[in-house]
Amino acid sequence: MRTRFPIAICFVFGIFTLLQYFSKHPTLTAMYAEILDWMQIVFVFTLLVGVISIFKIHSAKISRQERDWPYSILTILGIVVMAVLGFGYGTEYGSPFLWIFQNIQVPMQSTMFALIAFFVASAAYRGFRFRNKEAAVLLITAIIVMLGRVPLGHQISDLIPQTAQWIIDNPSTAAKRGILIGIGLGSITTALRVILGIERSYLGGRS
Amino acid sequence: MDLSRLDRRIIFLIIAIVVIVPMLFDVTPEVQITKDTEQIFDAIDSLKTGDYLMVSFDFEAASFPEMRPLASVILNHSFEKDLKIIGLALFSEGTAIGYTLLEQIAREYDKVYGVDYVYLGFRPQYVSAILGMGESIIKVFPEDYLKQPLEKYPDFLELENYENLPLLVSVADGSLPIHWADYANARYGQRVAVACAAVMVTAFKPYFESGQLIGPAAGVKGAAEYEKLLGYEGAAHRRLFTQSVVHLAIIILVIVANVSAYVWRKK
Repeated sequence: MRTRFPIAICFVFGIFTLLQYFSKHPTLTAMYAEILDWMQIVFVFTLLVGVISIFKIHSAKISRQERDWPYSILTILGIVVMAVLGFGYGTEYGSPFLWIFQNIQVPMQSTMFALIAFFVASAAYRGFRFRNKEAAVLLITAIIVMLGRVPLGHQISDLIPQTAQWIIDNPSTAAKRGILIGIGLGSITTALRVILGIERSYLGGRS
Repeated sequence: MDLSRLDRRIIFLIIAIVVIVPMLFDVTPEVQITKDTEQIFDAIDSLKTGDYLMVSFDFEAASFPEMRPLASVILNHSFEKDLKIIGLALFSEGTAIGYTLLEQIAREYDKVYGVDYVYLGFRPQYVSAILGMGESIIKVFPEDYLKQPLEKYPDFLELENYENLPLLVSVADGSLPIHWADYANARYGQRVAVACAAVMVTAFKPYFESGQLIGPAAGVKGAAEYEKLLGYEGAAHRRLFTQSVVHLAIIILVIVANVSAYVWRKK
């Protein structure tokens, strides 16, 4: 029963959403709209599971005083403070919740993201080496695209942005399209395996 | 001295200098408009006064410095054309950012909330939100961001689902435009234009080639091109000069490292 019931749910909803795609019948459309609502409700519960999980992991770290445990206190404090402010004073414009978000979280996350430029520069300095033919192709391509994507490339020669665009439009897109087709076929296969109950790893057991 | 093994802290210092110093100069480089940016500009420009335009702020706080100029040019263009804007966010972090930006730019054009624009806010689980709006927008967003029922805004009541929406713009730092293409375009035929982070262009390229997505205006360069199309040189132009210098610095560093490694091997 513990495995059959979820497999049956999966089968019914999988087949229903697959078939209703081809029909505009009002009853099916109404049922489909209802299912979309359920999806959002289920998702909100997964968020709750995530919050509980963060609490459990960081509480354990604090109680065992594992490495960097003071950061765990900050994490829990952050969640509690934002939850209290959000539920207590709302999240609209001018609320303390939004003030903290805009003046602490946005600058902090932007700073972290901006640091990537430094690591990219360092990695390029060490990684982009003319070691063999393949590495040479990668190196030259990277230089052309980097120059072609800023006005400097155009100022040197019109040929640079044109070549950069050709690289993006042709070899890069061809490779990406191949990957997308592979992902698409893989997704269809996995979906069919889940709907038909062949793939059961989502139940926690072996497939 | 083997320069190919330069201490990473020196590289960090060089990058810091080439980022900070160009910002001190008010240089606006000459920008060439690409067909990609022109496509999204034309898509918005072809809309008539009073047409609905949905703008989805699909980005997170981390990429705000790159996404802000893009979102700004889209909103400037839309308000200039007197379009009715419906803002929303499918990432929780984009919710407040999108609302703040919309409010700021709307104020510049003396636009009124509820008449010229509304902000629907955030809905979790973007796949079901995108699909749900194809059936009924008011069912997915019964209230706006300000907790007001959507029925309160008669100017937006005609917008039942994607059928009355001539264009949707996803301002995105990640892969959300693919979901707009997969679910809103493929299923409901919704026209979707994209303004995205520069790094995402190659990921979306097959969708642009197939006509499932329109655009893109990508990164700071795309925003600068859009500014030029709108006839002004704003924040994106100034940032583009810094970006040019940083790209050049990285290229010089890579060449120096390769030459140094080659000379060192010869020895």
